Amino acid sequence: MMRTAGIIAVAIASAAFGAATTGWAVHTGRGTGLSPAVLSNTGYDGPAAVPLGDLAGGAVPRGPIEMKNPLGSGPGVIAEGKKMFNAMNCSGCHGYTGGGGMGPPLNDGYWRYGGAPAQVYKSIFEGRPQGMPAWGVALPPEEIWQLTAFVESLGGSVKPGQAYDSRLGDDHEGSTSKAGSPILEGQ
Amino acid sequence: MPHGTFNPAPRKSSGDWTSQAGDFANSRYSELSDINEKNVDQLKVAWTFSDGALYGHEGAPLVQGDTMYVVSPFPNRSYALDLTKPGAPIKWMYSPNPSPMAIGKACCDAVLRGWAIGDGKLVYSLLDAHVVAVDLKTGKEVWRTEMADVSKGVTMTSSAFIADGKVFVGNSGGELGVSGWAAALDLATGKELWRAYSVGDDEHTLIGDRYKPFYPHLKGEDLGLKTWPKGMAQHGAGAVWGFFSYDPETNLIFYGTSNPGPRVPVQRPGDNLFSSAVFARDADTGEAVWAYQFTPHDQWDYDGVNEMMLLDLPINGKMRKTIVHFDRNTYAYVLDRETGEVLKADNFAYQNWSTGFDYETGRPIVDPAMEPKPEKTLDRICPPDIGQKDWEPPAYSPQTGLVYLGAFNICMKLTNHKVSYIAGTPYDGMEMERFSVDGPDGDWGQFIAWDPIEGHAAWRIPEKFMVMSGALATAGHLVFYGTSDGWFRAVDARNGKVLWQQKLSSGIIGQPMTYRGPDGVQYIAIASGVGGAAGVQAGRDGYPPRGSTLYVFSLNGKQVEGTHSSAAHPEGEAPQQGAPGSRG
Repeated sequence: MMRTAGIIAVAIASAAFGAATTGWAVHTGRGTGLSPAVLSNTGYDGPAAVPLGDLAGGAVPRGPIEMKNPLGSGPGVIAEGKKMFNAMNCSGCHGYTGGGGMGPPLNDGYWRYGGAPAQVYKSIFEGRPQGMPAWGVALPPEEIWQLTAFVESLGGSVKPGQAYDSRLGDDHEGSTSKAGSPILEGQ
Repeated sequence: MPHGTFNPAPRKSSGDWTSQAGDFANSRYSELSDINEKNVDQLKVAWTFSDGALYGHEGAPLVQGDTMYVVSPFPNRSYALDLTKPGAPIKWMYSPNPSPMAIGKACCDAVLRGWAIGDGKLVYSLLDAHVVAVDLKTGKEVWRTEMADVSKGVTMTSSAFIADGKVFVGNSGGELGVSGWAAALDLATGKELWRAYSVGDDEHTLIGDRYKPFYPHLKGEDLGLKTWPKGMAQHGAGAVWGFFSYDPETNLIFYGTSNPGPRVPVQRPGDNLFSSAVFARDADTGEAVWAYQFTPHDQWDYDGVNEMMLLDLPINGKMRKTIVHFDRNTYAYVLDRETGEVLKADNFAYQNWSTGFDYETGRPIVDPAMEPKPEKTLDRICPPDIGQKDWEPPAYSPQTGLVYLGAFNICMKLTNHKVSYIAGTPYDGMEMERFSVDGPDGDWGQFIAWDPIEGHAAWRIPEKFMVMSGALATAGHLVFYGTSDGWFRAVDARNGKVLWQQKLSSGIIGQPMTYRGPDGVQYIAIASGVGGAAGVQAGRDGYPPRGSTLYVFSLNGKQVEGTHSSAAHPEGEAPQQGAPGSRG
């Protein structure tokens, strides 16, 4: 399973080079058994194209990574996202209210991989090295955006348009809160 | 009334400490008495060592001859420290590079509960479900065995245990719907000799002709399958993440199994054998000889993994070969270790899920009001999931006949949610808040001296924070333990009077040990580095940040004499006093 996820991550990175390589990415995706919904995430024309991070952390600081959640943040979307959050056992790691546990908190304003909607989407889609599964293999983009909307509603997320500022630590205040992950605090 | 006894095998030299408990019986008792009740107030730090890993530090350092062996939590680096030199410098370091994915698959922090020494090797489990053996002299890897696929949620956090040329290991992942097992590896090669599942048909649980449990409800064909709804045993857990013990007389090993999966009981009607239970198995073949289930159909995640102490005790006037076991469900059990019969079951702390114990059937009596139902909140169940005592191992003193254990004083508010099995994710469903038995300002911890023959506490020390460290008893009439807010204490084994204490840099969830160094001096060692399940207190005032430091104490801080390798000035040249820029 993780090997498949690795292929997807490579495909996404390659898409950064432009439409010409997108064809390669989709071609590479062929034979992986992935759904069209998933494959659409590797190109630019899907319903929810994955915004790309800058290469090697040094390129264009703004751009698609600042995009809003295309499904918005209405109560209906958040409710669907919450349902999904429990159904996919996200709550088992991140806590039923996002306070953390086996996995990091999602409500404390601290993000290893970025807390803007598109960055949250990318983390859910690609998975992360310390045990976060790559849900892009299993879930269509709409459901990942619903999950993203729920995570945004937990109170610790970064507003679209602040992804870059947040990376530099310029968008948040310090905190004396003791809430947060009972297990992974300080990591 | 005579006290009990125990077999101190395989200990040969009273100065070494070569397994987590110091012996096969899990006594954690040392004959050393240079440090004793009369002089312990002179205990001071001799030296310290940081392994730089900021996860919970749950293991005890081991000492053989002139070297100490320490393994860090993830990334599970091991260090050999030279005890013949001042400050115990590093002889070698070995880095196994386990997969970081394992961090997020471990339920309760990326911990390691210990390591083992035997046949010239240091042997331990990696968080990503491998076992490695490292040459004691060179630090080179001798063998590495893959035990399971970490991406499916299998981790390994318990201590490897060595007896009779074999390494015994078990898996973690009771919260992720893994299949729980214990396995024996050949100490020389790492080759797997047998693997016994906790849940499943008789073929997988290694139940055959030699299996003779005491209680009728534990007899029958394929009980590890038939006590589950169809299709549910496959992800029924029964992980093996506590300590092993070994009786060389009968060649049996003993260990406990974890909670059943999922943690939501309504999804798995039945006794759910052999979860939350103890197995006695033949060390050579893994065949089950008997089993006993502490919490049938475990509805609160109580597990049965806590250690089995092999003590010989006079029970009702007759010497019995027993297992003393403090379960997370808050019963202190005395079992006959040859048959699995329950001789005693007494509450060692406050609980409200069980109204009594039925000695006829060997089953606890459950209060129906405490049985969780999906989406119905129960406001106060005591203890919570982690019990009134978790995995932290007690110590036994033959001087007093008492068992000393770190314990809790907590309850939970619980709401269950039905869950689906998705490989590599939690198969859990318990939404919880924990709090003190005694209300918002109440204590969360306690340290207990327990009389296993009479079945009651001799004395208790209330503690504001959970006591999640192991205990150490010594012939110096002393018992050592640490608190999760960082106090390391020495108390009089007879009456619990605190004789010495030292605040360490982080909270303590490790296991204290003692050894006689190559210089002939007795030392006491304990790791300071909070984490693990003690993290449920993270929201409380005074809960400390993480740490990574091993502390080694001696009387007046005495340590090996010699030239300090870090001495900065050349020979024959005195350091300048009060020179410009000096902070003197």
